[in-house]
Amino acid sequence: MFRPAKATRPDLRLLADEDLMGSVRDGDARAFEVIFDRHSSVAFSLAYRMCGRRTMAEDIVQDAFLSLWRSGARYDRDRGSVRSWVLGAVHNRAVDAFRRDSVRPAVDVGGDDASGRLVAAERTDEQVERREEASRVRVALGELPEEQRHVIELAYFGGFTHTQIAELLQLPAGTVKGRMRLGLAKLRIALGGRVEVLT
Amino acid sequence: MTESRDCGLDVAAYALGALEGPEAVAFESHLVACAVCRDELAAFEVLAAALPLAATPVEVPRRLRRRVLAAVRDEAAAATAGRARRVPRRAQARRFTPPRAAIGLAGAVAIALAIAAGTGGLGGGSGTRLYRAAVYRSGAAAQLRVAGAHAELIVERLPAPRTGHIYEVWRQRPGHAPAPTSALFSVTRTGAADVAVPGGVNGVSRVLVTQEPAGGSTVPTSAPLIVASL
Repeated sequence: MFRPAKATRPDLRLLADEDLMGSVRDGDARAFEVIFDRHSSVAFSLAYRMCGRRTMAEDIVQDAFLSLWRSGARYDRDRGSVRSWVLGAVHNRAVDAFRRDSVRPAVDVGGDDASGRLVAAERTDEQVERREEASRVRVALGELPEEQRHVIELAYFGGFTHTQIAELLQLPAGTVKGRMRLGLAKLRIALGGRVEVLT
Repeated sequence: MTESRDCGLDVAAYALGALEGPEAVAFESHLVACAVCRDELAAFEVLAAALPLAATPVEVPRRLRRRVLAAVRDEAAAATAGRARRVPRRAQARRFTPPRAAIGLAGAVAIALAIAAGTGGLGGGSGTRLYRAAVYRSGAAAQLRVAGAHAELIVERLPAPRTGHIYEVWRQRPGHAPAPTSALFSVTRTGAADVAVPGGVNGVSRVLVTQEPAGGSTVPTSAPLIVASL
């Protein structure tokens, strides 16, 4: 007897983020779950690096993802990837929290203190590739002269302005800005064209 | 420390979010006329966006995943249930809440429109209401999105607060003075912010935003910049 093929739903995990966001706009919680699983690790790692406190990092990541879910209609693929959107939201929320509560991580925000940290298990080729990409960025940042790496980390991960960094390090503001520029220029050379696909 | 302006030095600091508010605004004005800085900034912003990858990987706590996905599923289910109960769109359009809130701030009138979520965005479903807020900053816009017990203020093109200041969200009940919330925020370079309103808006007639000294205030020290009337 002929049986018509069942209309099966495509495996959401095979879809690109931008396609998933179309379903998220329609209120599809399963599509959002795939987005969360793809990007929550790097988002939480960033939040934890910035805050140094698990509960605060969890609150920030939760807020960022729920904001994506609730305002996904405003996500515009032309303005960046979903991952960039999520990481930008995490970064902005952490900086806001620092400025609101005067709560910051230790001034040495560049430390790679792994105590209490659990490296996520590699589960898929895609995750392996992302971890390799992340490793390239870590290595490139780590190979910068310390004074350049330090000001970049204080600014990005610590949420400090250049004048605050100048006060912290007892340096002229122009020197801080100069080190930031030199550091980013060296990172650009070290990562070359690869950085275009990292974000 | 007085220094002559060097636009090249500002590029990296801007890309890293390390310029103070007024400096950032001045640099953005400079960008309009300086193609060299625009090109360098484009390259540096890509690098800055890659910096999160340098954070040591940390496993996502299971409780965080459970919390986020449970909230999403609950809201999706509520939206689905709401759609099943929803009246036809044409009938619904006739039932729009008319503008009803006149507020006497700087002679401006806040228009509150309850808009069915289908016209406003995703995720909230028909249980979502959008309230357009009065904003007393040229070019800026804001709306309050209310979904169940959750309320979120969505701000666009709002200038960064003055140095040493922050924006603070207030809730006001009818006949009461504005009460402070723990929501203090700044904005992105494009002036955007999505800010949850702690405690929601049950029993609240207005949500306001003022500019306050860093750390926030217990009573408003400046006139509201944003007023959303429910």
